[in-house]
Amino acid sequence: MLDFIIGKYNYWIYIILMMIGFYAMIGKRNLVKKIIGMTIFQTSIILFFVSTAYKKGGATLPIIEHAHGHGEHVGHAIEASSYINPLPHVLMLTAIVVMVATLGVALAIVIKIYRRYNTLEEDEILKAIK
Amino acid sequence: MTDQFPILIIIIPLLFAVITPLLGLWRENLCYPWVILSLALCMLCSIFVLGRVIDTGVIHYYLGGWAPPWGIELVIDHLNALMLVIISTTALLVAVYSKRSLEQELDSSIVYFYTIFLLQVTGFLGIVITGDMFNLYVFLEITALTGYALIAVGEDGAPFASFRYIIMGTVGACFYLLGVGYLYIATGSLNIADLSRLLPELYGSKVILVAFAFFFVGIAIKMALFPLHVWLPDAYTKAPSAASALIAPLMTKIAVYVMLRIMFTVFKPSLSIDMLPVTDIMIWLGIAAIVAGAVMALAQTDFKRMFCYIVVAEIGYMVGGTGIANSVAIKGVILHILNDAIMTLGMFVVAGIVYYQTKGHNLTDFKDLFKKMPYTMAAFVVIALSIIGVPPTCGFFSKWYLIQGAIIADCWAFVAALLLSSLINIILFFRIFEIGYGFSETHGHGNGHEEVLISEAPMSMLIPTIITALGIMLIGIYNQPIVNNIIQFAVPKL
Amino acid sequence: MKIANLLIVIITGMVLIYGTLDMPDWGDPNSPASRHLSPNYISDAVEKTATPNVVTAVLGDYRGYDTLGETAVIFSAGMACILILRRKRKK
Repeated sequence: MLDFIIGKYNYWIYIILMMIGFYAMIGKRNLVKKIIGMTIFQTSIILFFVSTAYKKGGATLPIIEHAHGHGEHVGHAIEASSYINPLPHVLMLTAIVVMVATLGVALAIVIKIYRRYNTLEEDEILKAIK
Repeated sequence: MTDQFPILIIIIPLLFAVITPLLGLWRENLCYPWVILSLALCMLCSIFVLGRVIDTGVIHYYLGGWAPPWGIELVIDHLNALMLVIISTTALLVAVYSKRSLEQELDSSIVYFYTIFLLQVTGFLGIVITGDMFNLYVFLEITALTGYALIAVGEDGAPFASFRYIIMGTVGACFYLLGVGYLYIATGSLNIADLSRLLPELYGSKVILVAFAFFFVGIAIKMALFPLHVWLPDAYTKAPSAASALIAPLMTKIAVYVMLRIMFTVFKPSLSIDMLPVTDIMIWLGIAAIVAGAVMALAQTDFKRMFCYIVVAEIGYMVGGTGIANSVAIKGVILHILNDAIMTLGMFVVAGIVYYQTKGHNLTDFKDLFKKMPYTMAAFVVIALSIIGVPPTCGFFSKWYLIQGAIIADCWAFVAALLLSSLINIILFFRIFEIGYGFSETHGHGNGHEEVLISEAPMSMLIPTIITALGIMLIGIYNQPIVNNIIQFAVPKL
Repeated sequence: MKIANLLIVIITGMVLIYGTLDMPDWGDPNSPASRHLSPNYISDAVEKTATPNVVTAVLGDYRGYDTLGETAVIFSAGMACILILRRKRKK
């Protein structure tokens, strides 16, 4: 039982973080709080993925040692289990960029809404639109 | 050179989009011909690729020379090639149409609008052409971001509608990303062909089932499937006419394409249909979408909002047809993707022309338009007949395939919903014809005859409308060759 | 309404946690994700791309098309902000 929890607890923590962000996105009435919830949700997805890249047993960062200056040959054999998995890191670099871009556009739209209605609460804006 | 056409389809709009701001800051009226040139080249490339796929079969293009699954590949089969032609032709028609309407609706930012227009088309093309799951997410986000921007510069109330779309759209995209992540954790691969080879042994695993559920909900949000459709009416009504004419025909149909890919190429039909009760849920959601869309459309007095609810009902046809899951119904679904793109393009193009001439969104603004704008209204009659489902327009044939498929599968509720929807569409459109011909007396006639001088639509807006109406008739008349040569090979083996 | 939102969030969280029950343990060097594509990336990166940093090699070379898409995302976000926030100059 304890082994089971130790094996999975990283996933569970990030899922709880995701749900906190998700609740803020759909539950809060203030526009900026919704955006903060969106950021928490997307950031925790990124952390969830990156945590799957880890390998136990002394694995290090995926930068091949002693490879500079040898042309295209590395002196020693490269063992895959001594370096952590690089692919989730690559995918999440792109996802971070996407998250920042969405955040930027969302904040620009909130600025435009504020200029027009002078409030950031969803119910007041809905009343003003009707 | 012709081997590189698959990647040129993506690169041409992207490259032209990057150069558009520089060109626009130099001479602003060069932007319009520049956009038309780029989309025309893109359309030629996609028609050529469709021809090549019909002749020789599936095209695989390895980006950078790296073999999949270590590199990314573009896979073009019959379904893809058809979607590429649909997207590039629709984008070209909307670009031709957009000049006059943008001059009226947007004051100074036409250059940036065209840049984002081209980027949105790049996003659409990138989604349908790719063979890699994470690449699809990147292009889905390009589509989403540019869509938010195009909608937010509309009329009063558009930024808030776009904000609602941001929240729901981001939830959908994040659910899709979670699905990709779960599949990666279970199999280690991101390539669609590789996943379809690795997944069948893992079908009992909980990770795969949860991944499928998250894919389905995420794509349902993007597809505006009832009850997750609440972002669609506000967003498409308040957007500028050119933006809604581009996004409305394409975004939801591309989401239907992604659903077909995930259900039938990544997960084999043995999971999607036999093991999970997904198809029953899809039939009931489809019926609910058709009925809800039809009923809400009846209640609208704003014709652009009415068209949005018709779009929601059409998505119900496609989802219900996929739920029925025999080969006749799926032929109907793919043919309906083609038909619905053209019909929705027609509806929103006519709505934009009426808004350009009368500056209003109300149904009563259609008054006497049949006399003043005869060609536009003739095209509108053809489009309306196609949505109702009258032969020989194309709408009849896709409905016919769907009804046939439903009868074979003994799904009488779906047949009833389709027929009900046709009846309600008759009421909706004949209401407009009645106002347009001036048969009904509107109230408040007494206060002076201040008639806005309305003439026929300008040429650049009229020609795409007439081409759309002609396209509806031609696709209807020639639907047998289209089904036999293209769609038949796109149906998955069930 | 608050209860409905809370219910949706809890159901989504439960489904996600249900999915993790079959996942490989944290840090397992024999998980499918570590055995399928990554060994090839790590062993061939220096030979084929002359880059010791494997993440750069994958991002820039093997999956360079994703990076092109990411650049397009940044560009479109920039253009979107200009389009949304632009004000007409009042002469």
